[in-house]
Amino acid sequence: MSFLAFFFIVVSLVTFVAAQLILKRAMEFSATNGMRNAYFISRVAIGVVLMTVSFFLTLGLLQRFDLSYLYPFQGLSVIFITILAAVVLKEKLSARLTIGALLITVGIVLVSMS
Amino acid sequence: MQNRPSGFGNPRLQLGLSVACVFVSELLLKRGANEVAAPDDAASWIGINGLASPLVWWAILLIIASFISWLYVLRYIPLNVAYPLSRVVDILVPLGCWLFLGELISTLRWCGIALVIIGLALVAKPIARMEERL
Repeated sequence: MSFLAFFFIVVSLVTFVAAQLILKRAMEFSATNGMRNAYFISRVAIGVVLMTVSFFLTLGLLQRFDLSYLYPFQGLSVIFITILAAVVLKEKLSARLTIGALLITVGIVLVSMS
Repeated sequence: MQNRPSGFGNPRLQLGLSVACVFVSELLLKRGANEVAAPDDAASWIGINGLASPLVWWAILLIIASFISWLYVLRYIPLNVAYPLSRVVDILVPLGCWLFLGELISTLRWCGIALVIIGLALVAKPIARMEERL
């Protein structure tokens, strides 16, 4: 796999995870503050733009690689969330998370070699 | 958990529908991408040329449907229960690639896919809990 392809895979996953978290925050905010405010609208707009970026990058990648090759890379999103939780929530890695993340990483390496 | 509606509104049925929509949308996106594939054109990395395929539009509709039913599911089933169940799609997609898309999957790739699936199954619950707090 070329560096460019790996770069686009990572960008499409990071934008997807970021969009999910931003939209979730926006929905939580709307539960108490309603939807007719600049904060909610701007967050939803950012979330939708990020989702769209992720979607089209995936579509570009699917033109070049098998789905069975690309799909396992979605496991990387779990690694991003784990890193984010460690940084933002100061969450410690449990043994279960560590083993799971390791298995996913080794699995992705095997797929990328195939 | 709140009282669960029955029939079409049954949250477990909706969870199944959501997973089915994701599964079929992935296969349709791949078929659609193949239809318009222009790997020699650098601009196709951005993927917008994919919109020329009707299959991609069907996939978009299914993605929206899966999103709506997923939001509905989360009104009745906590994320740390629903999310691990929804990951069954990680098993369905590679099988679908093999059965319906005719992709030739080497032993090495099957091994990699299996490790990713086991890893995802292990972390599904803690990840869902983290996502709820992030």
